[in-house]
Amino acid sequence: MGKIESNPKAILDLDRTVHEPARLAILTVLASAEEVAFLFLQRVTGLSKGNLSSHTQKLEAAGYLATVKAFQGRIPVTSFRITEDGRVALHAYHQQLRALLPKEGKP
Amino acid sequence: MTTPDLDALSATTREYAAFQSRKSGLATALGGLMAIVLVLAALSPNYMGAHVLDRLAIEYLVWVPMLWLGLKWALGRVLYRGLGTVKAAPDSAYERRRWYWILGLALFLLAMSLAALYAFALGFLQPNPSRAAICPPPMWLLLMPLLYLLPMPWLIRGIEEARVFAVLVGQCILWLVPLFLFSFGPSNPANHEWTVTGHLAMTAYLVLIFLIQIWGALAMIRGWKEHRQYLALLRSLPREA
Repeated sequence: MGKIESNPKAILDLDRTVHEPARLAILTVLASAEEVAFLFLQRVTGLSKGNLSSHTQKLEAAGYLATVKAFQGRIPVTSFRITEDGRVALHAYHQQLRALLPKEGKP
Repeated sequence: MTTPDLDALSATTREYAAFQSRKSGLATALGGLMAIVLVLAALSPNYMGAHVLDRLAIEYLVWVPMLWLGLKWALGRVLYRGLGTVKAAPDSAYERRRWYWILGLALFLLAMSLAALYAFALGFLQPNPSRAAICPPPMWLLLMPLLYLLPMPWLIRGIEEARVFAVLVGQCILWLVPLFLFSFGPSNPANHEWTVTGHLAMTAYLVLIFLIQIWGALAMIRGWKEHRQYLALLRSLPREA
């Protein structure tokens, strides 16, 4: 527990917007592609429509994702893109988490 | 939701996006099948009342690459977009390789067109110019290479698709060149003796046809495997909440 012992407040510095599992999953999926349809995001994360909408709204409010609304024929289609801020936040979160975890081979 | 396996989520997204950007699945298998059928149809006697490498048969067969492009597009829409559109992250190295294929095919088509024109001028036009006025070769055939080339930047999305298209187009060019040349030639080629070059050309033709058959069979297997991968990907997704 070297890192946390030396800086116990470090774990509190984690970005709470990203730290929530559903939002972490959403950002991970969005970071793996340029643009992702709502339906795919829902199926791959296993979230309900309502849950997904609520989490994407929070991420959008934080400036981590952008919503793209378009029409395919007459059907409205919603897609999402990760923003540059979102990419930076996700990367920083990974770095912070790695720093907090014990090094391999050490208890 | 359960704690997400982030690597698996990322891999699934990339794989699904790949089927909308570079993988063709069943379209590759269809391309392999069409390559085999194209050879068999062109070589089978009495195909639609035509004989081996007959003009009528070839005039239909030269449209096969365009048919494949249409079917590929339709299959992609119907089979690989069930969960909506996912645009893959841009990959400049892959894009560069795709353009190399397009450029390669363009150079091949240009070389074959020039070779056909050169052979026509040297073998037929020069020795017998009066015949050119009476019985000109089908000039529309010279437009086919351009027709093959035009849709490539938009409709060929991946290396595998470029490979399938190149094989189909290559085959059509193999049929088109003799059609262009021999439609103008003597009406009874049986009277002409076979030269060593002729024998060599025919052997190369047969080897090429044999290789296309093998490639077609492998493409069918590869395409079917890709399709199964896609089905496995769909099965691996969590059930709808």
